[in-house]
Amino acid sequence: MRPSRAAYPIRWRVMDILEQVAGKLWPRSFSAGLPYLMLLPALLLVGVLVWGLVEIGDSSLRTLDTSTFLMSENYTLANYQRALSERFFTTVAGRSLMGSLIVTVVTLIFAFPYSYLMVRTQSSALRKFLLVALFLPFFIGQVVRAYGWLIILGNQGMVNEALGLVGVTPIRLLYNYPAVLFGLVQYMLPFAVLMLAPAMTAIPAELESAASSLGANWISSFRHIVLPLSKPGLVGAGLVVFTLSLTDFAIPAILGGGSQDFIANAIYDQFFRTSDQGMGATLSLLLVAVGSILVGLVFMVFGAGTLAMGGDRK
Amino acid sequence: MSAAPAGVPQQETAAAAAVSVKRVSKVFGDVHAVREASFDLPKGRFLTILGPSGSGKTTLLRMIAGFDAPTEGDIYIGGQPVKAVPPHKRAIGMVFQKLALFPHMTAAENVAFPLKMRRHDARTIPEKVERYLELVRLGGYGKRRIDELSGGQQQRVAIARALVFEPDLLLLDEPLAALDRKLREEMQLEFRRIQKELGVTTINVTHDQREALVVSDEIVVMDGGEIQQMAQPVHTYRTPANAFVANFIGVTNFLEGSVVETSNEAIALSVGGMRVKGVAGGTAKVPAQGELAAGALRAEQIRIAPTVQGFSGLANVVSGEVRDAIFEGERIVYEVVVPELGGAVLRVFDHDAESHQQFGPGDSVALGWNAKDMYIFKK
Amino acid sequence: MSNQKFLSAQIKRRTLLKSMAAAGAAAGASTLGLNRAFAQEPEKPAEIIVRAWGGSWVDALKAGVSDSFTKATGIAVRHDLTEDNEIQPKVWAAVAQKRVPPIHINWDTTTNATKSALRGVTEDLSDLPNLKNTTDLSKPVGLDGYPIVNTYGYVYVLAFRPEAFPNGAPKSWNDLLDPKLKGRIALYNDGIGFHFPAQVAGGGKLEDIPANMQPAWDFITKIKAQQPLLGEDPDFTTWFQRGEIDAACTISTNAREAKKNGINIDWVVPEEGAKFDTDGLWIPKGLPENELYWAKQYINHALTKEAQQVWLDGLGLPGVVPGLTPPADLVGDPSYPTTEEDFKHLIRISTKVQVENESQWFAKFKEIMQG
Repeated sequence: MRPSRAAYPIRWRVMDILEQVAGKLWPRSFSAGLPYLMLLPALLLVGVLVWGLVEIGDSSLRTLDTSTFLMSENYTLANYQRALSERFFTTVAGRSLMGSLIVTVVTLIFAFPYSYLMVRTQSSALRKFLLVALFLPFFIGQVVRAYGWLIILGNQGMVNEALGLVGVTPIRLLYNYPAVLFGLVQYMLPFAVLMLAPAMTAIPAELESAASSLGANWISSFRHIVLPLSKPGLVGAGLVVFTLSLTDFAIPAILGGGSQDFIANAIYDQFFRTSDQGMGATLSLLLVAVGSILVGLVFMVFGAGTLAMGGDRK
Repeated sequence: MSAAPAGVPQQETAAAAAVSVKRVSKVFGDVHAVREASFDLPKGRFLTILGPSGSGKTTLLRMIAGFDAPTEGDIYIGGQPVKAVPPHKRAIGMVFQKLALFPHMTAAENVAFPLKMRRHDARTIPEKVERYLELVRLGGYGKRRIDELSGGQQQRVAIARALVFEPDLLLLDEPLAALDRKLREEMQLEFRRIQKELGVTTINVTHDQREALVVSDEIVVMDGGEIQQMAQPVHTYRTPANAFVANFIGVTNFLEGSVVETSNEAIALSVGGMRVKGVAGGTAKVPAQGELAAGALRAEQIRIAPTVQGFSGLANVVSGEVRDAIFEGERIVYEVVVPELGGAVLRVFDHDAESHQQFGPGDSVALGWNAKDMYIFKK
Repeated sequence: MSNQKFLSAQIKRRTLLKSMAAAGAAAGASTLGLNRAFAQEPEKPAEIIVRAWGGSWVDALKAGVSDSFTKATGIAVRHDLTEDNEIQPKVWAAVAQKRVPPIHINWDTTTNATKSALRGVTEDLSDLPNLKNTTDLSKPVGLDGYPIVNTYGYVYVLAFRPEAFPNGAPKSWNDLLDPKLKGRIALYNDGIGFHFPAQVAGGGKLEDIPANMQPAWDFITKIKAQQPLLGEDPDFTTWFQRGEIDAACTISTNAREAKKNGINIDWVVPEEGAKFDTDGLWIPKGLPENELYWAKQYINHALTKEAQQVWLDGLGLPGVVPGLTPPADLVGDPSYPTTEEDFKHLIRISTKVQVENESQWFAKFKEIMQG
């Protein structure tokens, strides 16, 4: 008996005990249920989200009584009517949608060559540099970065100082729509690159060699091969950039000088400035609806596999 | 492509060949991938560059295709130096290792791609595409997506795409490596058929000696970045230029010993004390008496029998003991320990289906071979 | 704050402390005021939490009220710098769910505090003994009792950089329409403080508020063409310091802060008048009995002359206790109204009207500015 004991290491014993305990807690006959158990935390989170949405939905149907500052007892669609008819809300919604669209297009245009170079470059030093340059802003929060732009682009900022050296009087570079879009593009670029890079890595370099041997110059090769095959990445990146821009708060608030509100700023005002939770809830729901419809449309047009990065591609 | 620089000395000789490689070297960092490679390939011939991985064969091919530039030396295609010609302006069709078919296009769109890129008349394209799909026996498959085709069908699309624009030169970069054996052998014959049908000059790269023997008009064997031998398949096999080629192609036994006698081509080695007769192999200098040398002997050149009876005409006769017998279907491979040769183990093929003579491990056997079948190379 | 004053405040605080101890010994916290026997004094919490505005605002509160309160009672004061607009829904939610609210005392604008009072989430403060020593300003208008106590008033002045006005200080809000000032003026992002003077500057009457504010909207539309920056309290100080703006409608305290930091800033009450409003302190419902008691003591303490003097010296604002000495730099300043005459130039609109209509005014202002 003794030699066999010695041959059975302590670690194995510990594992045996652990297995026994696990067997008691989760008998083998339950094993089919294990995947569902794993799913539970996610379901719980989604459940909380849905519950929150229901609560917000309830609020959105109540109006604010300014004589008591309580929400009305009865349900009404007045908030929705206001949201869809008042010029302020339509202006802000239009600005957000248009801005997000512009930001998405510009960001993708910038992110595309960046990711391409990062994925294809032979030089590991250049790749590392591009990666560091990409990740560095991630360690600096959005708000800090926006304040950075205030310092750089302000009337007494570096850019205007430089312009001053060549005799240009200070120009107002901040607190306008282009400044907000600029800030958003700068903020979104890493997201887009990170979404695009895997899609580009999935395009074998051999395809481009093949296109070249078949008579395609780099423009044709880009247009007929790289671009169409990057579509999943472009769609995914576009979706992420668009929805993040559409729902952004800090950049319009800080770089917009108060007159370039996006939807999130309007929602903030309703909740925290005018104490109108009903209106705030309504705008939130409409924003969720616009986002969902958009994602749904993209899925319908490009297929739900788009965001899964097209695993079936060789 | 028009104005070839004047005063290139090799120009006239190069013009005769479809492809001419002149002392081409390629250095990556401190790695000499290709070292002074030279060969001429006449028009319409099928050349295979054969070598183990890392031998520089793919690098040489990529330089011919224009994806890499030679560090030294020049490449001529159709008599013109191509140093300054980018890949998309060289009239070269290429089939890639992983085929590199465009996954977002149909078979027909893949085949049409080079025609569109080369601005062929759009009206003639569908007809040409269909003709080439038929050439590779894929008529009617044009509308299929690439992932709806089998591995062999994808190969055929890749070939059609590389040939449809009637290139001067077809390059094959180990496209068959990933296929299973049966399909690979089928495709080898297919390559050969199509190449003969179109007469297109072809350079194939492979590490598969069988493929090289089957499909090629010429074989270039490469190792360590250097060309070891360029010859027709039968010569490559029968008269290897050196020990490497002998070893790389076919199943070869090597018997090492010192030279005890040389007279003309005939050389005798002392292997484990026994005198073994062979002939000088390759083009290198014949080893002198007392020098170390190796005799290369193909497994199928050795005869095997229970006794030495009937081996009277053979220059070399030894006896040994079967260590292992491997049944490979059309042949049996014996591993025989020969004490007379210092305990050397010889591999022997036995195709003799008539005799039904099967030996088992432990059986005593006699082996014999001709002196002309053993090539002796200097060590 | 001058050294002299600091010393006197110190002394005052010390006398306060002495009398506190004496009162305690005499079995009656008479300085703190409530007529309770010492034995019945509720258990002291380790700390009380006061929501405050950051920067110079919280510094002033700490120096004037919190530090002396801690000295007197031993109860630490923690300042919670959550934005007033953000603490409001949290407090409302806590009261609605019968939880203990996240703060003991909210330092709030009277308008926002009134919203909370209307909603019924505030404790009644009528029994604070020091209320009897205060001016009318401390009493919220249009509410029963003291659900909030106003602690000082302030003026939304027209602050400006004198270099930008070489011909002398602006006299009218209309001076903001000077093309030179395009992109160089700033307002609060909901327009607070600007609606009423705009009504006058636009040719309307204050009596028409809230029924007809078209003149205000017309004037604000003209201002919009000047591309104003829109921000919050800290933004104005920053913008003046960074040279982003030449003029702003802001609370005098922000302009004074920039001036203290060495920026050349001045301010006026233009001929149309400037909005006068008050801030106050209130206690949310739902606190444990003893914490409520000490929270009330804190507010009561904030109404002492000594506390008001130091606190409001810091803010540069007029308090609600008679006999305070104005800071030297603000004697006779229009943003520090003390006399009947001073108040004539200021616009005061009833809290009730403001509370009921503010949302609409904000929305209208935003609609014009975001257009």
